[in-house]
Amino acid sequence: MHLAYLDAGSGSLIVQAVVGGVAGAAVAAKLYWRRLVARFRRQPTDHG
Amino acid sequence: MGIPESVRVEPGSFRDPANRVFHAGAEVLRALDETAAADWRALAGTEFFPALMAAGRICRTEQVEPGGPLPESGRPWAAVLRHERIPFVAHPYEWSFSMLRDAALLHLEILRAALPAGFTTKDGSAYNLQWRGADPVFIDVGSFTPVRDGEPWAGYRQFCQTLLYPLLLQAHLGLDFQPLLRARVDGIEPEQMRRIFGGTRRLLPGVPTHVHLHGAMQRRNSGATTADVRSQLRAAGYSRELALATVRGLEKLVRRLDHRPGASHWADYQRTCGYTGQDRAAKEQFVATAVTGEPELVLDLGANDGRYARLAARHARYVVAVEQDPAVVDELYRALRAEREQRILPLVMDLADPSPGGGWRGVERAGFTPRAARADVTLALALVHHLAIGRNVPLPEVVDCLAGWCAPGGRLVVEFVDPADPMAARLLANKPDGLFPDYHRERFERLLAERGRVERRLELPSGTRTLYQVVVGG
Repeated sequence: MHLAYLDAGSGSLIVQAVVGGVAGAAVAAKLYWRRLVARFRRQPTDHG
Repeated sequence: MGIPESVRVEPGSFRDPANRVFHAGAEVLRALDETAAADWRALAGTEFFPALMAAGRICRTEQVEPGGPLPESGRPWAAVLRHERIPFVAHPYEWSFSMLRDAALLHLEILRAALPAGFTTKDGSAYNLQWRGADPVFIDVGSFTPVRDGEPWAGYRQFCQTLLYPLLLQAHLGLDFQPLLRARVDGIEPEQMRRIFGGTRRLLPGVPTHVHLHGAMQRRNSGATTADVRSQLRAAGYSRELALATVRGLEKLVRRLDHRPGASHWADYQRTCGYTGQDRAAKEQFVATAVTGEPELVLDLGANDGRYARLAARHARYVVAVEQDPAVVDELYRALRAEREQRILPLVMDLADPSPGGGWRGVERAGFTPRAARADVTLALALVHHLAIGRNVPLPEVVDCLAGWCAPGGRLVVEFVDPADPMAARLLANKPDGLFPDYHRERFERLLAERGRVERRLELPSGTRTLYQVVVGG
């Protein structure tokens, strides 16, 4: 398994999707959408 | 192949523990651990890597059988590579704008060739690049690694900090990037760039995305690990094609960045410096004689438009032309690049403030003095008065310093400009009368004689300038 020796930076990884044109922006949007959905899905279990 | 006794670890190669560079005599070796050795074998079997190496874009590299063990750093070495030797290592803060731009474009070109072949680079640093004269070359062969689908470039942040941001600062704002890169080995942070590029400047090409969005994303994702973000991006459909599109976008942006400064004082120096035709002919003859015998390395200190560096290159294997004015160096670089000159390296440096050692313990990036100390011939033409009068450096210190920028037994070719000379008089006019009582030719000659053997001496026809050829320590 190849591990990067360098801390690539989380934000620096995501921004590369955004600068990769329309398709890249769609990937970034999907990533954020999934994060949002995951947050709402987690909430009921937090309370119950 | 036998490993000579004098194996020395390259102090700038510790960041990636998978490989390490050593100097064994005149050879440059790179030891690889098991994983890096497997990567190397895969890399050597690709089409793009040998092609780029043959084209001179990547430094010539071959696997060798070491005759003896190389010092280990906690892990056994599985393979050893031998690299082509770079004639004079130069740091990005010693490059001009066009040099940094061409280096950035070469890095991107290599990445664009590597990605379709299933490879990427682990990092994106300006320090991955060096020079053969005016020709950039990628030296970090240990940086190539197989790309995993769905992963963006790990070197993007480093590319921004050490290559793209300095270029944006110079191209958009006319700000010299060299002092910033010299001060910070890791380059300029997105957060600093956001502050500089406020207001309407935030709309300049490349700034909204690579500076502002990049900085904002870093802040918002500071709690997320890169491993999490990588898997999220993969799940969201990030592809190798997208990685390629990013590289192409960066290339397009860097190509658009340009910086053509207005005329500086030094840019016009050859016309305004007050030499007569006779003086110039005599000086050229003197210098031409001093550089015969095919010296390995000649330094031209205060090179200006490179007239004497070019003259030296007719005889020498390699010439480093050091000049303070970034605009003059940039012009010289562009001319040399157009001529495909591979034996003259132009560098930006103020010789009254030469590059110190930088990075970890001040040795990760070698200072100018240890690099210059192996020059076979050092030219210091029309330089001493600028240091001694213009910068108030005591004359004995100037002579000591010049002698130290030359190998023991090497030749120092130095010009002394009399206080009566129009150029020296102009410098003296800005200083109080009587400030430099020791600045005269007899004193200078005594100092030279204390530090070496004066082989030749020539007073130029105009009578206010004298040239000396000195064997240092001889």
